[in-house]
Amino acid sequence: MPRHGDLFYSERCREREDLISKKELVTVQTILRVNMADRTATYEDVPEKYKQRAGRWLTSSIVCDEIPATCHPLGPKNKVVIASGIVSGTVSPTSARISVGAKSPLTGTIKESNAGTWFSQKLARLGIKAIIIEGVSTEKGSLLTLKIDKEGATFESADRFAGKKLSEVYPPLFEEHGGKQKVAIMGIGVAGERLMTAAGVAFNDLEGRPSRYSGRGGLGAVLGSKGLKFIVVDDTDAPGVEIVNQELFDQGRKKLADALLAHDITKPKGGLNTYGTAVLVNIINEVGGLPTRNFREGRFEGAAKIAGEAIFAGNKERTGKELYNHACSPGCIIKCSNTWHRSDGSEHTSCIEYESDWAFGANCGIDDLDTIAELNQLCNDYGLDTIEVGGTLAVAMDGGLAAFGDGKRAIELVEEIGQGTPLGRILGNGAVMAGRAFGVTRVPAVKGQNMPAYEPRAIKGIGITYAIGTMGADHTSGYTIAPEILGVSGKVDPLDANKVEMARNFQYATAFIDTSGHCLFIAFAILDIPTGFEGMIEECNGVLGTDWNADDVGRIGKEVIDMELAFNRAAGFTKADDRLPEFMKNEPLPPHNTVWDLSDEELDRVLV
Amino acid sequence: MITVHLYGKLRRFAEESDPAADSTVSIPVVPGETIEGILKRIGIPEEELGNNIFLNGEYSGLTREVKSGDRLGVFPDDMQLLYKWYFTKREGDRSDEPG
Repeated sequence: MPRHGDLFYSERCREREDLISKKELVTVQTILRVNMADRTATYEDVPEKYKQRAGRWLTSSIVCDEIPATCHPLGPKNKVVIASGIVSGTVSPTSARISVGAKSPLTGTIKESNAGTWFSQKLARLGIKAIIIEGVSTEKGSLLTLKIDKEGATFESADRFAGKKLSEVYPPLFEEHGGKQKVAIMGIGVAGERLMTAAGVAFNDLEGRPSRYSGRGGLGAVLGSKGLKFIVVDDTDAPGVEIVNQELFDQGRKKLADALLAHDITKPKGGLNTYGTAVLVNIINEVGGLPTRNFREGRFEGAAKIAGEAIFAGNKERTGKELYNHACSPGCIIKCSNTWHRSDGSEHTSCIEYESDWAFGANCGIDDLDTIAELNQLCNDYGLDTIEVGGTLAVAMDGGLAAFGDGKRAIELVEEIGQGTPLGRILGNGAVMAGRAFGVTRVPAVKGQNMPAYEPRAIKGIGITYAIGTMGADHTSGYTIAPEILGVSGKVDPLDANKVEMARNFQYATAFIDTSGHCLFIAFAILDIPTGFEGMIEECNGVLGTDWNADDVGRIGKEVIDMELAFNRAAGFTKADDRLPEFMKNEPLPPHNTVWDLSDEELDRVLV
Repeated sequence: MITVHLYGKLRRFAEESDPAADSTVSIPVVPGETIEGILKRIGIPEEELGNNIFLNGEYSGLTREVKSGDRLGVFPDDMQLLYKWYFTKREGDRSDEPG
């Protein structure tokens, strides 16, 4: 029966109770379909074609199968699909990725944005392969929370949390639902409520902080358009993830764990654990590829002041101890999430990722970690994508709204987003919108999405990723490889078939990792340690009872990317959209003084 | 002179070591000298060296020749996070340099 006040209890929940009573739940996986128009939550059988699919493979499949590619991303025909990866919810290491998919209101393309969070493991342990959120609430302005536990799914009002900072509403929400050990929460902030295209989807970390984001592509706005504010998942007494071949799973898990424990980047007290992803600030600055002041230069004179080392040293000075990073989710070996502390030692924000650090730091000409931390925390509180917001601030600075380096004004501008002022609404809709509003042509975006923290004129391979990726300028949607390795940049050799295949296979492997439930950072270890790669495949085979090998990784990855490309084509995208912004072809970037010189023909051959 | 930018635990070989600033050491270049030679003269133990070495912003191996006026960036073995598949590591002489 309803347990949370004014609930809208689904008839199908009772049917599910019947299922539970028959003790079939261990083998019954379901898809939870949530209709926001009539407030129903229905458990469906998993169609045969989806049985092996999870993570990005499943979200992109459902988006392609169910969403008209030409629909308005914030209209009733778009849907949000949420799915854990294949091994999520098992004891596999570093495997708590949750994929969120939809048609993106920022790019107009398909989108899959994933985050590392306990939410993924809890959802998987309930036997729910995917949540599909569809329809639009008929009660304009009202917001709902969806509560899912082993007994079913129910709704309750979230109106009392509207308009508030997420860091203020997560603690009472946890308290109402039994605490941060018991439940995990997905949420949107005011940016999502206001349908801003820079709105992300927040998930909590192990301390209950709403700090882990499926940040990119405005997926928070899609949830806002549907009137869904939170999903609370409680896996108490859940059946757990069925493992078809336990022995094979254990063997794979051990191989992967050994690889992660051995590799310099992923091992405990390795590069990621000590300095966080922000260790990259100094590295990419040395490379000359740290985009500075809205992609004007490739080196930032203040890089050392904001880098991972400065964060580690600053925390040590302020807290009196060496703070190694923490895990975003249970079972992670890498543990790369950092915190930043105020001068009195109290925690200011978590997590300052490399890309966020760069977005508010080098890209805005800001070299002060306290300012960067405040901007990061405001984005966490308002439910915003840090990369898009930092990129937007830099475009706004180019448009004269603030001087580069003016941290105080940058904070005020982000506060405008939180307040929903007309200026805030422009800035909350991303860099392209800000460029139009303020007459700025230097907008480093592809398919409407601002580039993250790697400059394509200095790092050509990332330029290929930005240009041809299925989700706009994104550093994670599918790694490609150095064009020099491909033999294209500045050389006479055209791309030969083998090398093109190599680049494609790399994209496909990325899509597979996003399907497995593993964090993309396992790539560092499994690409260097072959047994780690084998381990990942064996774990998946153990869970699913499949007999995949390395060829299947490529096959599945290709299937994912091909379907995403097909969605984009149906939505109206062509090769002409697979281009970097014009200024990058004309303006040499210091210190290398290079321009983007990969020809359109070469780009078009990577993904056919 | 070559300016060497040192990071992480290698900062101790710099003239001034501050984790939140540039830690550099400048030394004269012997003609024909390689990155390896420079690092030896600074006194960096081989086992502390990572794979992330950059000569004028180019991902480089130890056998590359250096010249006066170069900038060398050196990260220790516990600070490797380069997405190395985006880079070609340069080795040996500098005849392959563009321009």
